[in-house]
Amino acid sequence: MSSKRFDPSRPFLTLGVVTILWLLIPIAVKGFTRATFFELTAPLTVAASYARDLQEYWALRMHSNSDLIAAGRDLARLNASYELAVQQNSTLHAEIGRLEDLLGLPSFAEYRYEHARVVRRELSGWWQRLVIRKGRNYGLTAGAPVIFTGGVVGRVTEVHATTAVVELLSSPELRLVGVVEGDSRPISFQGGINPTFGPPVALVEFVPLDVIANRNLTKRLVTSGLGVFPPGLTLGVITRLELGADALFQSGEVRLDERLSSLTEVTVLVPLHGD
Amino acid sequence: MRRTLVIAAALLLLWTVVSQANHALSGLHLYLFVGGLFVAFSALTQPFAPGLAASIIGGMCCDAAAPAGLFVTHALLFAAAHVSVFHVRDRIPRDETASRVVVALLTNLALFLVFSFSQVHHSPAPGLAWPRLLMDLAASQVFLALLAPWFFVLQARVLVLAGVDRESLA
Repeated sequence: MSSKRFDPSRPFLTLGVVTILWLLIPIAVKGFTRATFFELTAPLTVAASYARDLQEYWALRMHSNSDLIAAGRDLARLNASYELAVQQNSTLHAEIGRLEDLLGLPSFAEYRYEHARVVRRELSGWWQRLVIRKGRNYGLTAGAPVIFTGGVVGRVTEVHATTAVVELLSSPELRLVGVVEGDSRPISFQGGINPTFGPPVALVEFVPLDVIANRNLTKRLVTSGLGVFPPGLTLGVITRLELGADALFQSGEVRLDERLSSLTEVTVLVPLHGD
Repeated sequence: MRRTLVIAAALLLLWTVVSQANHALSGLHLYLFVGGLFVAFSALTQPFAPGLAASIIGGMCCDAAAPAGLFVTHALLFAAAHVSVFHVRDRIPRDETASRVVVALLTNLALFLVFSFSQVHHSPAPGLAWPRLLMDLAASQVFLALLAPWFFVLQARVLVLAGVDRESLA
């Protein structure tokens, strides 16, 4: 037994000192400490994601040659349709360029597509984030939009050496401006209701009174082009609208894509010009 | 110092296991929080200073994965929980695994509720966020009760293997 008597108030005194010290430390030091701990844990997360990829690879190796032939045939058909779409896309781009010149409009932002594997999904009731396996090493920038085949995933909030953090569309911290497909009036969008076992739900506000949507007559909500996201990307489907407290606008719910919670790969749109 | 580093390494392993479980459960919209497990063993069995340092390091690992604005929230909450458990540890049968698990469960409940109350105002509809948070809490408590005995033994064995504790103390 120790000869010195342990003072029972000492732990609380120590806690107080630790708290005060932390409050006095400059923000730069706190930021550095946070980045250090993130980089300390990053190799573990990345290693686990590589292990999952290997597991998936061996699972795919179990498929028979007939399965592979069928998949190759389907892919060839899909590629043929995409070839046509690419041709139409180039014609439309040329047309947009011509109209921009004619009307003196500013051109849309241009992006480089950076595909990245998802190494960790952290979808809690407090926040909704993904960690992806590309970071400063691939020139990703904070604020860059992130998309997948179903539309918008979210935006990059932190960029680290070999990883980046994406804030999901379903996160309560993410707010952006959307429009109903075929309409140009801006609507406020905020993610944040993520029930257990159910699809994520976001909220919309300032919806014009003439927009009608319900479970039987849904409306697709897309990005407006205001902010970092290019216009026309799917945010979700408006399933419910009701008159707001001010009776000037409606507010309601947007059902988000269920695949958001099981993403394995996303695409980051890296702006080609600095801003 | 070595004691702190050994416990911190075990906590890093726990953080990895839990983050992988959360990754796998994301499709079900379930999230596991085991903050109580980061604190219980070191607060119940270890000397004050190295145990507190290990709890703070464990909290920092959790903070690094949380949004930037919350940095050190976990660490300070874990430190507060550590101090509280340490203060009462002589009044509970802390050598028994069952009582250690109960302490971990109670600590986890307190940490989860404090954290939820501090975060729920970010939700656009706080009333609708609570059912999800309560489901997460229930799942977390079950997961913690299953994981805790293994993790307590792991920490004790790691301390023995690192030569910090003797076999009889583990």
